[in-house]
Amino acid sequence: MIEVKAVEKNYGSKKILKGVSFTANKGEITCLIGINGVGKTTILNAIMALTPINSGQILIGGEPIDKHTFEKITFIPDAITMLPHMTIAEAMEFMNDFYTGWNQRRATELLGFFRLNPSDKISSLSKGNTAKVNLLLGLALDVDYVLMDEPFSGIDMFSREEIANVFTSHLIENRGVILTTHEIGDIEHLIDKVVLLDDGMVTKEFNAEEVRETEGKSVIDVMREVYQR
Amino acid sequence: MKKYIKLLNFEFNRIAKLFVVLLGITFVTQIIGVIVVSKNYLNMANEQIYDERINKVQFLETYGQMSFLQVVRSLWFVGPIALCLAGVALYIFLIWYRDWVGKNTFIYRLLMLPTTRLNIFYAKITTIMIMTIGLVSFQLIFLPIEILVMNSMVPNEFRADLSVVEIVTSILELSIIIPGSVVELILFYGAGLLVVSILFTGILMERSFRWKGIFAGLIYSALAVVILISPLLLQEFVLNGYFYPSELLVLEIVMGLIVLGATIWMSGFLLRKKITV
Repeated sequence: MIEVKAVEKNYGSKKILKGVSFTANKGEITCLIGINGVGKTTILNAIMALTPINSGQILIGGEPIDKHTFEKITFIPDAITMLPHMTIAEAMEFMNDFYTGWNQRRATELLGFFRLNPSDKISSLSKGNTAKVNLLLGLALDVDYVLMDEPFSGIDMFSREEIANVFTSHLIENRGVILTTHEIGDIEHLIDKVVLLDDGMVTKEFNAEEVRETEGKSVIDVMREVYQR
Repeated sequence: MKKYIKLLNFEFNRIAKLFVVLLGITFVTQIIGVIVVSKNYLNMANEQIYDERINKVQFLETYGQMSFLQVVRSLWFVGPIALCLAGVALYIFLIWYRDWVGKNTFIYRLLMLPTTRLNIFYAKITTIMIMTIGLVSFQLIFLPIEILVMNSMVPNEFRADLSVVEIVTSILELSIIIPGSVVELILFYGAGLLVVSILFTGILMERSFRWKGIFAGLIYSALAVVILISPLLLQEFVLNGYFYPSELLVLEIVMGLIVLGATIWMSGFLLRKKITV
């Protein structure tokens, strides 16, 4: 389980996170939803120790993050994390070099799934294909948790569909996923848990299926209630 | 250790092109320099001997023989060395900032590698050291080749032959980058390593705290310099030459090691706890 406990984060005098707490379980897709600038990316960066927090605590599998944690959790930011002049094959080789959990069989499967050419240079790829490579590099790791920042942002419809298909496939199964988005449309049916954020705070945390069954409301209905109050 | 070696290999491959380009520029420019300086001397000799009709002996008495030092003192020789120095100096900053700046988000990947983050620091600083030592080593290989080119152009009697050692020791700038003794080598390159590590810590402070980090970096650097030179200051102003030079040297080395240790610790702390992408 990923536990985010009372996390506060300031940029200068501006408070970005004002005591954010939530949990994300293994085997579930947890979605952080909120408008731009609400602190979604900052939360993911903080979980990965890519930015310091001012107070609070973040635990992954009950432990604070250290160098070994990066074999258990991976982060797929909204920009490619490899050098532009590398080919897809070189990027995969880099991952294989540094991560014991790199699963080449799954990487090859993902290449086929996304119809990517390993000899293509990353800098020559379209935005959609760059996002797919980024996803490939993250998902081909045998990790327990995957964090994704806006995986559908600025990507064409067909690429979005292909990426959404990943979530229902065995490529995600049994892992814990935290993803952020400001447009819920495409993935509403995929989400297990929703964390609504506003102004650096969690305004509501709920199980999508439960709300659907007990209250007959969709995620968007709940969002409407929360944000249009 | 394995991950450090892999990172070092990766970092070095990233500068390999720049390294080869700098070497190429140095070699070509210095060879052109040898040809130009030799030609100038030969033209002058021809002019004096054939046009002004003075004999060889008189010419040599007036103008002297040509030595490789004339090449070394020309811009053709010093220019590319200065360019390499500037290249290395610029690269000290570039080696960090290029992973953050613009569309490049490679720093995400580096910081998420399952290895101690200090390995990133070690790999980058080793790359700078290898680049520096590599450039100097190639300069040492280039020198005899350049001497050979000069020798093939300028006849024996017009030439004062100098060995590579004589050339290096007669020019102060060269004797710093190519020290004459092991102790000097350790001292000069140790000092270089220390300066680069302090600069790296300054860069990491800026990357951690942005504007405030620049001031923190400047204060940190100033503090490191004060600690480093504190034995010299004490010797000069308080103790009135109490230490023997050898004792002072040992004290300086100890201070250098303390500052290096503090700098590495601080960099590790920043990379683990304060760095922000």
